[in-house]
Amino acid sequence: MLDWLRFILTTGLLASGLTILITSVIGVYKFDYVLNRMHAAAMGDTLGVLFCLLGLTVSAPDIWTALKLLLIIVFLWFASPVSSHLVARLEVTINPNWHQLPLKPEHLMEEDT
Amino acid sequence: MSKRRSDWQTRPQARIRKWFQQGFTALDDEIINQISQQTIQQPEVSQMMEAQREAMDTRRYERSLALERLERHELQAWVRTRGRKAIGRVYVALALAMAVLMIFFLLETVAHMPRFGDPNAPVTNEVTERYITRGVEETGAVNIVAGMILDYRAFDTLGESTVLFIAASAVLILLRIDRRKDGTPVQELIAAESDDRHYEPRADRILQGSVMVLTPIILLFGIYIILNGHLSPGGGFSGGAIISAGLILYLDAFGFDKAGRFFTYKTFAWVSFFSLSFYALAKAYSFYMGANGLPSGIPLGTPGAILSGGLIMPLNIAVGMVVSCTMYIFYALFRKGGL
Repeated sequence: MLDWLRFILTTGLLASGLTILITSVIGVYKFDYVLNRMHAAAMGDTLGVLFCLLGLTVSAPDIWTALKLLLIIVFLWFASPVSSHLVARLEVTINPNWHQLPLKPEHLMEEDT
Repeated sequence: MSKRRSDWQTRPQARIRKWFQQGFTALDDEIINQISQQTIQQPEVSQMMEAQREAMDTRRYERSLALERLERHELQAWVRTRGRKAIGRVYVALALAMAVLMIFFLLETVAHMPRFGDPNAPVTNEVTERYITRGVEETGAVNIVAGMILDYRAFDTLGESTVLFIAASAVLILLRIDRRKDGTPVQELIAAESDDRHYEPRADRILQGSVMVLTPIILLFGIYIILNGHLSPGGGFSGGAIISAGLILYLDAFGFDKAGRFFTYKTFAWVSFFSLSFYALAKAYSFYMGANGLPSGIPLGTPGAILSGGLIMPLNIAVGMVVSCTMYIFYALFRKGGL
């Protein structure tokens, strides 16, 4: 019974995490502008990875593996938003038209600059 | 010249002379100003003498400087013309001789090796089996890979570490932007620094805050992987890479000024030198004793304990230090052209 419960929980968490990750990948390829793409990518980096690792934590064989996985979640939730913030800051620094919303193609930075 | 002149005026002898001539309070600048505002009368003769003496001293000092400059110029001229040519010729001859010698040794070794695909060659029957069956007993390391790369094939790993060091030196030669001899930056360096300031996050509070939390954890994890290299997957190379990642993160958050406090070219040179020479000496000793069938005197310990595996843990530490320094200096050089 407990094994079945654990299996169902693991499957559900992994499935939802993978769905979020796939959504974020589609978003990264669908959007054009850096800040929009960053939104999609950050979602996958935090929520998708959180669900995947929680699924692995539930199915972990012993308590120490589960604790290590939880530590990895903490680390990723520290690191990923900060890196997103740095990407956004770089975009704001080098693109003078970043605040002109809604974004039109002429506001986007050229690829080669 | 003006800077040197003022240095010369404020040197201890001049200050003591002033002290004798102007009274006890003359050392304090504010009091000097107050006194000069009150217009204390100085005797005419002593001022004249002081001026003459100063002029003489200045002339002597300038002459010695000019002599020094002339000597340096002559030496430089010699180095630039004949000396460089001579050194270059010797260098080319030595390099050619070394290359020919190396080719000879390698071909000689190849000639003694078994034919490719020979079923009786030791690599196809004995070696792998011996690693697996007697590895723990002979090296004392539970992690069989660590036992292989740092005990059976330690010479190969020394070559890898040296390759890393040589690569770092080559990148240093190619990418480092030197300052001028008097310490002023060249145009290229100013451009690189302004680029760096523009594109890299300087003094970002969010990054700094998270780095304050993350860097110690990353460094501890790297140290754990290095020290646990003979017990679990990991070792010097991976642990060194993790430590260098932590250092690079710190550099990104706090800039070159703060990172330069604990990591300079001198640190890189000394750490690499000591690690590589320790590795070479320790392994030379162990190989020499082992080849002659003598006991090396290094206890292997019980397999599985943290202090076991003989030389494997110190060698892991040496490799980890070389790897972390090399990766950090790669990053710094590719980013700004210097530390």
